[in-house]
Amino acid sequence: MESIIQDNVDPIDLKNYEALYNEQSRRGHVNEKTQFDYALCLVRSRYIRDMEKGIALLEDLLRNTKDEMSKRDYLFYIAVGFVRLKEYGRAIEYTEAICKIEPGNRQAKQLESYAKGKMNTDGLIGMAIVGGAVLAVGGIIGATVAAFKKKPKK
Amino acid sequence: MSGGKVDIKVVLLGKAYAGKTSLVERYIHNRFLGETVPYQNTIGAAFGAKTVTVNNKNVIIGIWDTAGSERYEAMSKIYYRGAKAAVVCYDLTEKASFDRARFWIGELQKHEEGCRIYLCGTKYDIVEENPALRSVDEKEAKALALDVRGEVYVTSSKTGKDIEKIFINIASDYMASKAAAAQKEDDEEIVKLRRSSKKSNCPACKS
Repeated sequence: MESIIQDNVDPIDLKNYEALYNEQSRRGHVNEKTQFDYALCLVRSRYIRDMEKGIALLEDLLRNTKDEMSKRDYLFYIAVGFVRLKEYGRAIEYTEAICKIEPGNRQAKQLESYAKGKMNTDGLIGMAIVGGAVLAVGGIIGATVAAFKKKPKK
Repeated sequence: MSGGKVDIKVVLLGKAYAGKTSLVERYIHNRFLGETVPYQNTIGAAFGAKTVTVNNKNVIIGIWDTAGSERYEAMSKIYYRGAKAAVVCYDLTEKASFDRARFWIGELQKHEEGCRIYLCGTKYDIVEENPALRSVDEKEAKALALDVRGEVYVTSSKTGKDIEKIFINIASDYMASKAAAAQKEDDEEIVKLRRSSKKSNCPACKS
């Protein structure tokens, strides 16, 4: 799953699919496939703003389709987008939604466990940082107190 | 795009339900889920890797298992970029899947010259049990592969027939072409050295 999550779009592809999308929007109608191709590029971009835009375009596709398999695929890439944004909790909401459409979907399950794993390690790292800060502050207080205690002795 | 530390990028292409995911599942996990789990068509692409040993050297094969659904045609084109080998799958019992294999081979020839083609007819177990179900002629497959200097395989992910063989051949073909390229480079280097040593003997030629 790591390879799928970390797969970045080639900027040239992003540009090309963006041009196609913009061309169709100018004409007043973007077809579903063009929007999907562009959204897939955006979600796989390195930039947060692109990923967010990609998710928004996928959300739009999701609202406008009745086809269950299309819904499943849109949900999957929204989840991929949220994982890339490190919003693991939100990603899991979407992988759960996939399993309502297709129970036991392997890719959704894999993505979900990847997101849960990341959530745990990121949580531990966060706690370690906070813990480290507490220790550091404690150390400073301790040192100050010690310094003050020493003074009267002199 | 290479998917971590991978020596050979392999892409699987073919029509939906041709059996690409089952082939990878058999190769990497040595299992077949086709009879117990309902069919799920792949979303976008999946990735798997396996280490094989060729001539005492370990080679990591990274496999991009692309979705067969036409919705992902654009994305699959992105995934075969830079691939050293393509396993183009068709279902021996479905004529339309062979036409789709033809399409992918055409694409590869146009855009990815350096990619070797391994044409793979899947679901041999079905044909073995009932030869009447075969819809793609063996000759036709061989002719198509010959056209692109590729190889033909007939596999079954259910029984495991010839699955391992494809990837071992991919790895050894890759190692052989790599050795040939290195040899060529060495030869060129020798020629260059000879030329430059000649030049240094004649200061007037240096400018």
